[in-house]
Amino acid sequence: MARPDLSPDHRTINGLVAALFIAALPHFIYQPFWVGLAFTMMISWRLLHNLRGWPLPASSIWLRVLHNGAAALMIVIIFSHFGLTIGRDAGAALLTIMLAFKVVEIRSLRDYYLTCYLGYFLVITNFFYTQSLFIVVLMMLVIVLLNSCLISVNTSTSAQSLKKRLGLSGKMVLKALPVMLFLFMLFPRIPGPIWGLPEDAGGNGAATMSEQLTLGEIPPDQNRGTSGINDEIQMGKISQLIQSDAIAFRVQFEDDNVPPNKQLYWRGPVLWQSDGTVWSPLQTSQLNEQALQVDYQSQAVDYTITLEPHNKRWLFALDFPTGKPQGLASYFAPDGGLNSAEKMRNRRQYQLSSSTEYQLNASGDRNLWAALQLPAGEHPRTRALAESWLEESTGQSDYIDRALAFFNQQDFVYSLSPPQLRGDIVDSFLFETREGFCEHYAASFTILMRAAGIPARIVTGYQGGDLNPVDNVLTVRQRDAHAWTEVWLPEQGWIRVDPTAAVSSQRLENGINDLLPASRRSPGMIANNDMLVELWQDMKNNWDAFNTAWDIWVVGFDSQIQKELLSRLGMSNPDWRKMIAVLTALLALTGIIMLFLSFYRRQPTEPVVAYYQRFCYKLARLGIHKAAHEGPQDFARRAEQQLPAYQRQIQSITELYARLRYRRDNSALLNELADQIKAFRPRR
Amino acid sequence: MAQAQLAAILATVNDIILGKQHPIKLALTCLLAKGHLLIEDLPGVGKTTLAHTLATTLGLRFQRIQFTSDMLPADIIGVSIYERETAKFNFHPGPIFNQLILADEVNRASPRTQSALLEAMEEQQVTVEGQTQSLSSPFFVIATQNPANQIGTFPLPESQLDRFLMRIELGYPDARAERDLLLGQDRRELLQQLQAVITVDELLQMQQAVAEVHISHALVDYVQRILNHTRESGLYQTGLSPRAGLGLLRAGQAWAMIEGRDHVLPEDIQAVLPSIVSHRLQRREQETNQDWIEQLIHQVAIP
Repeated sequence: MARPDLSPDHRTINGLVAALFIAALPHFIYQPFWVGLAFTMMISWRLLHNLRGWPLPASSIWLRVLHNGAAALMIVIIFSHFGLTIGRDAGAALLTIMLAFKVVEIRSLRDYYLTCYLGYFLVITNFFYTQSLFIVVLMMLVIVLLNSCLISVNTSTSAQSLKKRLGLSGKMVLKALPVMLFLFMLFPRIPGPIWGLPEDAGGNGAATMSEQLTLGEIPPDQNRGTSGINDEIQMGKISQLIQSDAIAFRVQFEDDNVPPNKQLYWRGPVLWQSDGTVWSPLQTSQLNEQALQVDYQSQAVDYTITLEPHNKRWLFALDFPTGKPQGLASYFAPDGGLNSAEKMRNRRQYQLSSSTEYQLNASGDRNLWAALQLPAGEHPRTRALAESWLEESTGQSDYIDRALAFFNQQDFVYSLSPPQLRGDIVDSFLFETREGFCEHYAASFTILMRAAGIPARIVTGYQGGDLNPVDNVLTVRQRDAHAWTEVWLPEQGWIRVDPTAAVSSQRLENGINDLLPASRRSPGMIANNDMLVELWQDMKNNWDAFNTAWDIWVVGFDSQIQKELLSRLGMSNPDWRKMIAVLTALLALTGIIMLFLSFYRRQPTEPVVAYYQRFCYKLARLGIHKAAHEGPQDFARRAEQQLPAYQRQIQSITELYARLRYRRDNSALLNELADQIKAFRPRR
Repeated sequence: MAQAQLAAILATVNDIILGKQHPIKLALTCLLAKGHLLIEDLPGVGKTTLAHTLATTLGLRFQRIQFTSDMLPADIIGVSIYERETAKFNFHPGPIFNQLILADEVNRASPRTQSALLEAMEEQQVTVEGQTQSLSSPFFVIATQNPANQIGTFPLPESQLDRFLMRIELGYPDARAERDLLLGQDRRELLQQLQAVITVDELLQMQQAVAEVHISHALVDYVQRILNHTRESGLYQTGLSPRAGLGLLRAGQAWAMIEGRDHVLPEDIQAVLPSIVSHRLQRREQETNQDWIEQLIHQVAIP
């Protein structure tokens, strides 16, 4: 349109600022604090200008220097903080901050467009961090706002009220929904993460299980790290996990056949060796490979696990799985740990079936030898205690009972915040502090066993989970992390012994929830009112069920589920070519339907108008655009000025059009108009 | 034929009042559309001369009424006086019984006197002591208002402003026109030499012809869009009335006729729009944006 390049007014810019602020809000959490600070300062500058008349950078050389200098400084800070490779974080930080700097600079319509379009990019960056329903809804809102910003500078009726603009924008988004759905379902997925950035994939900085268990102090720098991708966890790491509500995985049992809580041991990595503080697993090559033999003694339960990405290979399974999972390439380690062929960088689903009563006959010399190793010279008091029991006890099972009785009858306390252990940490724990949680008990119990010549190992994993009565999905969170012991007895194989149960039976009967302070279970205000607690629980269950469905069906929609769905819809052997073909066809169909609907609803275009539009189009190609408010004669005058060679033709066509449209001359003239417009081939 | 006459009228008026082609064309449009005209401007820019010139050129009986604060309705309409010879009350018609009335500084009179005038304008008749007296035909009122020195005046309320089809401003002439004016003959002398270009009958025929200028559906759509915009955009305190819409169409017809067309184009509506809506619309925001009417035109697309 040939409108002058009006600068957008303050109210239009305020709308854009609001939209951008909402879009940037999640980044305030994901990014270092100075990103949010810089963003807020810049848009505040803009708002202070719009509302209070503060000067903008353009108004004086000093302010311009300040503005550009601050922008340069931010770039330096970004690179010095994130390093020189532009990854997800650095890119998002750069976009967020520079966008705010641009907002201060908006003067012309062109700046406004640019900022709007960058706003859409800012929306996308949010999905690099989370794809939760909340963010999706929030970003939809931002898109509606951004659209309405574009509408407000773009229609000839820019004076439309905010309500109307938002309505129009919302309608546009709704119309885009079917297209979005088709693209979502049919656009070929690439298996695995698209961005080959290992530090970005998987665990979003949430704590996850680790391969090693370290007793003793946590070095301070590992407390903070950027993510849970540390390969070492110390004693106390699980207590950190227990502080986390992040979801580890979700389980859907077939036929809602959920075993009781105390049987819900979710097996993870098995730890074999210790240097006195750190417990770590053994490589498969260090173990006897064919040693895994299981007798199943109860009816198997079938279930599907949806595992959150943790960037490791191991998988979790209910003790003990009857076979390898379906839907995922994997193998069993000789110690019963289930491992995937690749690192879990995306949310994945697999089906398993497990029998909760079993006999694990995995012996092998190397395994038993490894399960007896103690670090030389460590834990003298513990060993002395073991020897004194060994002399008194009648056999191995009697010895085990003695050890459990020791935990049960002495003043051991289950505590999530135990005092620090000094010196020989196992001795210190067993004889001095006597406060700890699962990993303290599992580790010291294992040492007590090995000191008495009973093969023992630590199994890490999760215990229990929250069963949601709405959808019967069991959600296992990081706070359900647990460690227990397996001991080997000649006739019975590896038996699970959970020393934590000897200290705190609640932990197993009811799960971790009962041990958490009440304030973590429900918001403090309502904790005293039963009805409100119930209502709260109800709402929470429904919300969780909804989130579960969202995570599994929308966020977890990967190439595999896509294939399954498509073949269920009758597309045999769907590959990307077929998908693209069907997608194209569907999009074309949608376009045609929409076009048809819009024609159907609009008054039929009169032929004279259609011809005239063609005439306008021919001129528009030469850069002569008719403004919406411009009458035919005014437009003709303007066009003649630019194309003097076609003056006669333009005049004649305009005259005919005006007579046909505004005088209703007989439509015999219509053919003439059509002919003249057909013959009208303007060229510069 | 009518177009030639109109061109002659415009040429004559433009000879007297220099450099004001557009307001003059609008004034003529207003008279052709049978509307009353409000001229709002400073003293001395030629309001009276314009009214007088128009009256003379169109062959109309002209009367100027200077409004003052002590004026009574009778001073406009006339009075019945008892005459001894006939022993009867005899009606002595006031200045309003003329064909073109210049109501000078209409805002100086009291509301009562103002409304007497405005009623007469609306009804084309006056009622004196129970007797209805028709006013002459054609009947035009050109009222002037002085925007400055508002102390002791009664500005016309918005509802009465609606009675005027158009409001125009004359403004200062540009440098060249002013130079010609300063060097040229005395305007009063010129006025006295002026001859009528058309007769009253011809004027009435032209008014008849204006009503026959074709208005298409497409054009009505456009006018409706303008009306809706003023009502729904939220930019104005109140939208345009249906009377304003009728006025737009009527004035558009007259303008098209002066342009020599037998049908109305959107451009005609756009040409008359500022003078028709400027006294009827009030912006909600008190921004000192002079060309808001220009914006109004830009905001409504032509269907």
